[in-house]
Amino acid sequence: MASTAATRAAVGASKVVKPIFSRDLDEAKRRVRELYRAWYREVPNSVATFQLDITTRQGRDKVREMFDKNKHVTDPRVIDMLVIKGKMELQETIHVWKQKTHIMRYFHETETPRPTDFLSKFYSGHDP
Amino acid sequence: DVGHCCPVQVRKHLDKSRSKMFLSAAFRSAVSQTARQVRSLHRSAARAGAGGIFVHRDTPDNNPDTPFEFTEENIKRIEAIISMYPDGHKQAATIPVLDLAQRQHGWLPISAMNKVAEVLEIPPMRVYEVATFYTMFLRQPVGKYFIQICTTTPCMLCNSDSILEAIQNKLGIKVGETTPDKMFTLIEVECLGACVNAPMVQINDNYYEDLTPKDMENIIDELKAGRVPPPGPRSGRFSCEPAGGLTSLTEPPTGPGFGVRADL
Amino acid sequence: MLRLPTVGRALAGAAKGSLAPSNTVRTPVRAASNMVEVFVDGKPVEVEPGTTVLQACEKVGVQIPRFCYHERLSVAGNCRMCLVEIEKAPKVMWHTLIVWQPVAACAMPVMKGWNILTNSDKTRKAREGVMEFLLANHPLDCPICDQGGECDLQDQSMQFGSDRSRFSEGKRAVEDKNIGPLIKTIMTRCIQCTRCVREIAGVEDLGTTGRGNNLQIGTYVEKMFMSELSGNVIDVCPVGALTSKPYAFTARPWETRKTESVDVLDAVGSNIVVSTRGGEVMRVMPRLNEDVNEEWISDKTRFAYDGLKRQRLTQPMVKDSSGQLTPSTWEDALTRVAGALQGVQGSEVAAIAGGMVDAEALVSLKDLLNRMNSENLCTEELFPMAGAGTDLRSNYLLNTGIAGIEDCDLLLLIGTNPRYEAPLFNARIRKSWLHNELRVALVGRSVDLSYTYDHLGEEAAVLQELANGTHPFCQVLSSAKRPVVVVGSSSLQREDGAAILSAVSTIAQNARTSSGVEEGWKVLNVLHRVASQVAALDLGYKAGVEAIRKNPPKVLFLLGADAGCITRADLPKNSLVVYQGHHGDVGAPMADIILPGAAYTEKNATYVNTEGRSQQTRVAVTAPGMAREDWKIIRAISELAGVTLPYDSVDEVRSRLAEVSPNLVRYDDVEQANYFKQANELSKAVNQALLAAPLVPPQLTAKDFYMTDSISRASQTMAKCVKAITEGANAIDEPSIC
Repeated sequence: MASTAATRAAVGASKVVKPIFSRDLDEAKRRVRELYRAWYREVPNSVATFQLDITTRQGRDKVREMFDKNKHVTDPRVIDMLVIKGKMELQETIHVWKQKTHIMRYFHETETPRPTDFLSKFYSGHDP
Repeated sequence: DVGHCCPVQVRKHLDKSRSKMFLSAAFRSAVSQTARQVRSLHRSAARAGAGGIFVHRDTPDNNPDTPFEFTEENIKRIEAIISMYPDGHKQAATIPVLDLAQRQHGWLPISAMNKVAEVLEIPPMRVYEVATFYTMFLRQPVGKYFIQICTTTPCMLCNSDSILEAIQNKLGIKVGETTPDKMFTLIEVECLGACVNAPMVQINDNYYEDLTPKDMENIIDELKAGRVPPPGPRSGRFSCEPAGGLTSLTEPPTGPGFGVRADL
Repeated sequence: MLRLPTVGRALAGAAKGSLAPSNTVRTPVRAASNMVEVFVDGKPVEVEPGTTVLQACEKVGVQIPRFCYHERLSVAGNCRMCLVEIEKAPKVMWHTLIVWQPVAACAMPVMKGWNILTNSDKTRKAREGVMEFLLANHPLDCPICDQGGECDLQDQSMQFGSDRSRFSEGKRAVEDKNIGPLIKTIMTRCIQCTRCVREIAGVEDLGTTGRGNNLQIGTYVEKMFMSELSGNVIDVCPVGALTSKPYAFTARPWETRKTESVDVLDAVGSNIVVSTRGGEVMRVMPRLNEDVNEEWISDKTRFAYDGLKRQRLTQPMVKDSSGQLTPSTWEDALTRVAGALQGVQGSEVAAIAGGMVDAEALVSLKDLLNRMNSENLCTEELFPMAGAGTDLRSNYLLNTGIAGIEDCDLLLLIGTNPRYEAPLFNARIRKSWLHNELRVALVGRSVDLSYTYDHLGEEAAVLQELANGTHPFCQVLSSAKRPVVVVGSSSLQREDGAAILSAVSTIAQNARTSSGVEEGWKVLNVLHRVASQVAALDLGYKAGVEAIRKNPPKVLFLLGADAGCITRADLPKNSLVVYQGHHGDVGAPMADIILPGAAYTEKNATYVNTEGRSQQTRVAVTAPGMAREDWKIIRAISELAGVTLPYDSVDEVRSRLAEVSPNLVRYDDVEQANYFKQANELSKAVNQALLAAPLVPPQLTAKDFYMTDSISRASQTMAKCVKAITEGANAIDEPSIC
């Protein structure tokens, strides 16, 4: 939904859309920075609480990586939505509603990529 | 005349025996006896002689290889029977042809039924259906003289038990058995429709009525001697006239003009 | 009796109006139509005269419970379950006494103005009473009964029966019969509906013996009930008296998953439902298709499914240095095949397609070989290529269609035994013979077809006489209004196949001209025996392996070819044989490399039946082990061989199919073929003499019917059938069950 809104905003700038929180890009960026700071402060706590086998530095790098993943987004509405999601994640982490595996899932180490070309699909099973 | 495949069974009124029905002692004994003989309600009358079960089991004298061929004479009769029905309806001749087979062979082995199916060009199963439906088709061997004794209520009240006993003593066989010389087979049947002349037996196509044990022995003696005694009542009355003599139509019919005004 | 219809009608109308005020507004009786107006629970419906009460109710969507009534069987009216009350149908007895009695809906034709009450107190009471009688002698063994869950008696007693029993006497018991390895009988459960006795197969082995309470269904003598359609009595039986022996105690209907599919064991393409549980086919049942199989299937279709679990190829195999086939991996096997293909060009590579191959695999194999510059693609079944050959579609189809047989009045069968080559087609012929006075004639070995026919002789020379018009039967043929000529594909396998086809074509063309039938009517028909043939010919495969025998290839690709047309002896020593298929049958042992494919229950695939109707099977279970769908294997080979085929999904393959032959993807549609005249003209150019040998179809008796392909040859049930037929029912040692 957000992406359609984004395209719409890109195509017809004249069309006024209802903002979620931020009225312009600067305000949205401010919200992103606030969220990033909150995560940055939370990382050492989480490493301790969840007894993660990573250093604080590695955790902070991962946070940065996750933020960088969406850095191409320019629509304030999309940014707001991503911030909301990020806050939800943060809250779940702070309150220990997540478990260790959920945190470690950000690090994705065990997932094998799904086959994409015909031959590897053929070799891997009946109907991948 | 092959058309007469079954003896004419005239239903007679029960008025004579109806009064006796209310003799409570006899009635009760009848009921209790039935209850003793029949374990479950679903057993039909003892028709062992005619083949009590409705599946065929091969036996030495009844199997698909039992020799059976229609005689020349009967083949002509079959042609005559089939010609009575429209084209393509040969199946309609199943009953008369089966009867012909039974009259020729005495009873109906499985090979005879197969032969009938072959003659009529119908699946054998269609013949088996008919042969098992009608109790007069005998699917198991019987003696030359097939004695069917009626022991249903009216006959029983007229003491058919004594007749049954007489037969059993005379021939030395029990119900459902055949004498060793293959002359007589005895079975008990339900009402044959001659209640007014009770007690009675049917031997092959003939009804012998108003019997006493002595009459029965005479009949068996005659049959043993190779003669067929005349069928009908043994009490001297004609057919099913009242037992105590005629109560009406006792004089010759009056001529024309009877009861008409003299001046006409 | 007053003969004043108008007055009578006015009176009747007035009387009804006063009785039922809601129905006072009534349309006037239409004089033009001779439809009868009746009412079902007050709802008006117009039906044709002679319609039964039950059919009238069905027209307004009211289902009447029934046991003995079956749409496709004659009406017996002996179960009495369909009793309904009818307003305005008093039965006058002894002149004065008017009795309001319920009528049997299945056998009673409707009369004008009847109001059929399907849910009145009296109707419900009647049904409850009938149900009580039926249950009086029915055993309470639902928990161990195979019909449980799909039993009409169970369902209807829940719906219409009483909630308690008043029956305290002993129940009747009936002896079970051994009627062969396919059908299990528990005759105590029988409710004497006689549906099985009236069955369609035309083999009148079952019947009712005895009378009254002792009436029982059976064969009377110890005998097997073995017709090619015997399994249908299982579907027809409303209770658990006749059930499937192989399916006994294996699954319950509510725990199986049902997949709608198509049968490929013969060329009819019967529509089936595959019941599966936990990746295993539990049974096969028919699916309604009026144009193909109605609601019946043959015994091979129904019972050969256990062959899908035996003798399967589950992993790729490669012949090692000692000449033994050893299990391998897909990578290894495919690389070897691709390597072999890269080393050859043009006619050095050839392929043979078998009888159960789907159109997707056929088109991808053809594309692959075409990319290698080879046109050596053959089918196992032979078809004469002289004259028009397979260029004109009308030459190799059952043009009239299976249902079309019901419209014809004369059928000439040539060198075929439809009873075992296409049992459902034969059932149609029999149906038409029974109801439409169809006259059938046969050229070829005289066989029992379950109906009568004129046998014209078994020599091929008879065809010549028929074509010349010198045979006495030609008069009958020329007087027919709608003639049909059917030639069996087996008779075209002979050396003189082209001459036979030419003669048949001439006979058909002569019959067409003499009958003066309209242009759309098709006379010439070819009855195929294998499911893949029409699709293969549509796609441009050559019929017959003669070309390969003449010009042996270096690499031979057998795609499910199990008929044994080519043996090692026909090939040079160093040639490589690749077998791709689902059963280790005839083809696999001679192969150097084996690629395991999927059977028809394991793939979404297109098959075209003998009348040119394309239909699709669906995935019911996953292919066992490492087996893959056939087109995917070929697609993988193509990539490794460096000639990648341009499709990755089944949809893309089908769009390729549509490019080659659009009719292949127009499912459930018969693409009409024509150009009979031109085909006949071309066939006249055939310069071949008929052989003296008689026309003998390969399947003559029932024992030839059961094992004809790799699936049914692997089936134990089919083996038991053959054994039972040759050695008698007692030869099969069945554990005594229940």
